[in-house]
Amino acid sequence: MSGLFSMTRRSLLAAAALLAVAGTAQAAEPVRIGFSMAKTGLFAQAAPSQMNAYELWRDQVNAAGGLDVAGEKRPVEFVVYDDQSNPANAVRIYEKLITQDKVDLLFAPWGTPFHLAIAPVLERYKFPVVGNTAASVQLRNVKPGYIWFTTSAIPDQMGPALAKLAKQSGVKTAAVLTNALPFSQEVKSFLLPALEKEGIEVVVREDYPPDIKDMTAILSSVKQAAPDAVLALTYPADSFLFANQAKELGIAAPFVFSLIGPTIAAYQQVLGASANNIVTEAHWSPHQSDWPKAKPFYDAYVAKFNEAPDALDSVLPYMSAEILQQAVAKVGLDREKLRNEIASDTFETINGPVKFDGVQNVVTPTAYVQIQDGEIQLIWPDSIKTADFRPKTSW
Amino acid sequence: MDQLLSGQLLFAALVTGSFYAIVALGLNLIYGTLRLLNVAHGDLVMIGAYTAFWLLSLVGLPPVFALPVAAGLCGAFGWLVYRGLLRKLLSNPQLAQRVEANSLILFYGLSVILQNAAALAFTASARGYRYLDEVHHLGAVAMTGNRLLLLGVAVGLCLAFWLFLRFHLFGWGLRAIIERREAARVVGVNVDRVQAITVCAGFAIAGLAGVLVSMTEQITPFMGFPFTITAFVVIILGGLGNVTAGIAAGLILGFVETYGMALTSASFRSVLIYGLFVGALLLRPQGLFGKAVRGA
Repeated sequence: MSGLFSMTRRSLLAAAALLAVAGTAQAAEPVRIGFSMAKTGLFAQAAPSQMNAYELWRDQVNAAGGLDVAGEKRPVEFVVYDDQSNPANAVRIYEKLITQDKVDLLFAPWGTPFHLAIAPVLERYKFPVVGNTAASVQLRNVKPGYIWFTTSAIPDQMGPALAKLAKQSGVKTAAVLTNALPFSQEVKSFLLPALEKEGIEVVVREDYPPDIKDMTAILSSVKQAAPDAVLALTYPADSFLFANQAKELGIAAPFVFSLIGPTIAAYQQVLGASANNIVTEAHWSPHQSDWPKAKPFYDAYVAKFNEAPDALDSVLPYMSAEILQQAVAKVGLDREKLRNEIASDTFETINGPVKFDGVQNVVTPTAYVQIQDGEIQLIWPDSIKTADFRPKTSW
Repeated sequence: MDQLLSGQLLFAALVTGSFYAIVALGLNLIYGTLRLLNVAHGDLVMIGAYTAFWLLSLVGLPPVFALPVAAGLCGAFGWLVYRGLLRKLLSNPQLAQRVEANSLILFYGLSVILQNAAALAFTASARGYRYLDEVHHLGAVAMTGNRLLLLGVAVGLCLAFWLFLRFHLFGWGLRAIIERREAARVVGVNVDRVQAITVCAGFAIAGLAGVLVSMTEQITPFMGFPFTITAFVVIILGGLGNVTAGIAAGLILGFVETYGMALTSASFRSVLIYGLFVGALLLRPQGLFGKAVRGA
């Protein structure tokens, strides 16, 4: 009985709401943007940095009156599904978003395997997506057409760049510690030959499993070898362990590198000043004044979420949204026109200009950042750097 | 060789081993007394970790004081779970026959609920805080304050439990139930009460372990599962339901892992842990310290 009553009441309310909408003269129909998100499962902890960036972008666009669709302003709405950290689910979700939900635009999911998994779906339905949080040489094997990769952190470029940065910073000997997961291994395969080429001797070389709980054994041998550089090709979970235990053992190398992890907000919360002067992978800093949108993005993100944006996982999604936004403003929602626009134009983002050739961003250089006094500073290459490399003198 | 004999490695092995021991302790109590497969055990560790994080961030309570709070919270939750879910399962003789399989499903559901409730309430962002992260030197051995605290609490807890089971009347009752359930009831052990307290204690110890681990690791809603796996490996190694053997097995696992990695390579971690596990199962299926069941 009460169920029936509430239903009538709900439909009455709905009718009233409809009337109200009709009354306010043709309010613009929302633009619906669909994507899958690893809300649960293995990658769930990476998802919020990306989701936050998308939400910040949406709120900013809506606050400015809506998304400019070739001259007409329309509010933005998200259609989001949980892919449970499973690429196969992402494939089904993108099919559903395209064929059943009939969304107007698509955003990218999180991570390389997900980008690779949905690429054929996008190809089949001829639906363009600007990718973001994917980095692998495998991306180059993706057929160019409906997906683009925003990052410049591709391992075959990163290896040589890191070796050059190390050499320029006075490194003659190095320890290379590598997580067994694919991205770290890929970087290592390009880093080792590059170090040799630069004349840097590798004195300790160790692989370790992703679920490692104690690094005392590895780091003791690093300490004994006393190299100039410790290049730890970490993932987020072990990046904390590495830094904590390097500090405990008092590793004295002036050049300390940790691949993924240091740009996560929690990293500095856990390590405090010990995180200072650690070098890591990213190609963005809020302090690069040549990119006028960088600092406002940083400030808006901090104001909304009360923590710093991840220099990779928040920045890249925001960039991809900016690129899509600018393309839609020019050519509207027609997918073929959008595709041609994204493939050919140059876009202004918080990370400076971006232009694609094939699937790759060819403007942003491969870069490295360092945490200096709690701030992310670009230290490589010279063309975009915001600060000089500082040797790590204490933990 | 120097490295193998160093106190640094010994410290690392003790920290890892004693942590494994307390993670497994709670699981072992619950399995031993109630034959319940608590696959949500790691998620209670997660609850403990978040308790420490929020108490520090919201009211500034130092994590060492979060230890009793997390234990109390998880213990209270254990009591609710026992009264609400488990008691029925155990008191109905038909259900009690299949209690292990049923509890697996029940706790799996609980695990999914806990993880996703935490993700919903706290978001899945990794959290962390700094606490006791200064480095102390004892001779040539460097020790971070929080790892030293972990070692102290874990060893204290293991010792306390061992003494309790050995010398306290309640401990005797507990051991009686573990060894001969029906006989314990006959001689007047209040099985229901012992069971309720055991579940509370098991949950509380997991919460404690969570506070300790949150001092050195990042905190996420999905951090618990690896702890569940570790705990199962330890208690199967030691012999299911054998609480003191479980403590010893945790320490052994920590030593094998740490020294094994130093002798071979870190990439052999899984080979070492599961090698020991499989080897023990093949040679001593009743556990390293278990007694073979006669005439079963």
